[in-house]
Amino acid sequence: MQQGVIKKRDLGKLIAAVTAASSGRRVRVYAPVEGETGVELREVTANTEITFDYANSKLSGKGVFFPQREVLCTFHNDSLEEVPLIEDSLVVFGIRPCDALSFKLLDKIFFNSTSRFKDPYYLKRRENSLIIALACREPAATCFCTSVGGSPAGKEGADILAHELGDKLLLEACSEKGSGFMKVISELLREPEESDLTESSEQNVKAGERLSSLALSGIKEKLDKSFEEPDWDAVTVTCLGCGACTYLCPTCHCFDITDEENGRREGCRLRSWDSCQYPLFTLHASGHNPRVNKKQRMRQRIMHKYSYTVENSGDIFCVGCGRCITYCPVNLDIRDILNTFARK
Amino acid sequence: MTAELVMENPYLPYPVKIDDIIIENDAKDLKTFKLVFEREEDRKRFSYLPGQFAEVSVFGKGESPFGIASSPTEEEYLLFTVKRMGTLTRELHISETGRKVGVRGPLGNPFPWERLKGKNIVIVSGGFAFTTLRSAITYMLDKKHREQFGNITAVYGARDPGELLYKNVLQGWEASGNIDLILTVDREPNNGWRGKVGLVPNIVKEVCPSSENAIALVCGPPIMIRFTVPVLLELGFDKKDIILSLENRMKCGIGKCGRCNIGARYVCLDGPVFTYAELERLPAEY
Repeated sequence: MQQGVIKKRDLGKLIAAVTAASSGRRVRVYAPVEGETGVELREVTANTEITFDYANSKLSGKGVFFPQREVLCTFHNDSLEEVPLIEDSLVVFGIRPCDALSFKLLDKIFFNSTSRFKDPYYLKRRENSLIIALACREPAATCFCTSVGGSPAGKEGADILAHELGDKLLLEACSEKGSGFMKVISELLREPEESDLTESSEQNVKAGERLSSLALSGIKEKLDKSFEEPDWDAVTVTCLGCGACTYLCPTCHCFDITDEENGRREGCRLRSWDSCQYPLFTLHASGHNPRVNKKQRMRQRIMHKYSYTVENSGDIFCVGCGRCITYCPVNLDIRDILNTFARK
Repeated sequence: MTAELVMENPYLPYPVKIDDIIIENDAKDLKTFKLVFEREEDRKRFSYLPGQFAEVSVFGKGESPFGIASSPTEEEYLLFTVKRMGTLTRELHISETGRKVGVRGPLGNPFPWERLKGKNIVIVSGGFAFTTLRSAITYMLDKKHREQFGNITAVYGARDPGELLYKNVLQGWEASGNIDLILTVDREPNNGWRGKVGLVPNIVKEVCPSSENAIALVCGPPIMIRFTVPVLLELGFDKKDIILSLENRMKCGIGKCGRCNIGARYVCLDGPVFTYAELERLPAEY
């Protein structure tokens, strides 16, 4: 089954069916809900009220597969104990296409890369996941996905793409896993009508027109040759170094590994999100620091996304979600920074 | 695929035991830890070459990357020389033999051993960055390997004689006649010093090792490297024949945590061994 229409009010039934239909494996469903500080992706049940009233969730979806804080192993008296990997199936509903695309990029870091090292914690969750992205009808003023290879109705990284049509959703399978899933829930779906398809494609066109567009051709080369330019000072002069941009970014994946201990020689090794915007991130034990000032750290953030990853895997590691723009406390705009160097 | 991954979790250290602790310097802030594997299969899997590094863990205190100071020819144990600096290294320094710790690795790339075969080897080192070069020299001087290399010349310097690492081993090397070992200290000590006095780059200039069919391995503090490389270039070494080993702050050691990069290269994954020719093309963020 490639396409089907479901009523929004039947989503509860869908969740009930999905979570019940497991073959011994627990299924967790994540969906956008109204939180205290904005829309967030949360684990939901059939009775949770799912919201559709958002341009994007405040936090990206990366935390489902790469949690902000996660135990890698535990210790007891100088002996190490492994922690069981998450075996649950994870269904993510309602993330925007930009976030779905970010999963494809994160995959390259955590297991798809040329490196022989695979990250089992991330991989296990990702293997057992299904992504239902929700096409954007009204992108925010800060969105720029089409400038970095995405689209308001982008399918990359999604197993199913949902289009919001009033009180119903048009679901479109984008992977084998997606069509398999549609088969499982086929009783809740009806065949789409011609008008559904026209409406959704009109919406996609309209959404695309609202997006700001950047001229980013050759940005890698332009950034590379501008590494020593004084413009870097100018574009970062107001930066507070708070790191919000990196925590909110769906493709930022830098992490720290630290141990915690309770004083009785029991504890755990933790992985937690970290940020290249902090001076401690690169501080050597000797006191030497290769990226000692905020200009260098901002340059690292931009170069990592628009030059280094392009060199290493061919991908710009930015999906244009605009979160770093929306939530920057001093209104730094990555589009301005890129434009500064794109004009070179 | 999954089964293999469950077995190979690159974040989990192998259990090892501290078998011996050697105080290396007069200041007593450098100790060498001799670690033995708890399980024979781990020892076999930990297959490395000189130049690689590993993460040493004390459970509950953290882990840090250290160059492997032992040579693969020393099959029964691993050596790490650790300076007392922060939480983890302090904990190691106050540990007693018999304590269980962890080792994760080997990580990074070794010195380019295929390229080094048949060459004269010039080693330049200062301070406690000598660790992976101890590994390299021990490896080359081993009976099985010595004939694969030409002349081996090593210039090794420290602030004063008491700060030189591996004093017993150094004596053995000198006595073997298989290596030209030139030791130097920064300032003239009170008595009994038979080596040279002067900073490493100056001594390299003085010793003037031939660049003919030679490759240089250089490990030391950034300031030593900065002044040594021009000397080597002047001696006629090609940029690609000057091999450096870098350090940057690391966590994962496997190219994921994002902090040890120099431009698009990761010190943990693409290094820590780089040729000067490679480094010259990268931004100076190290």
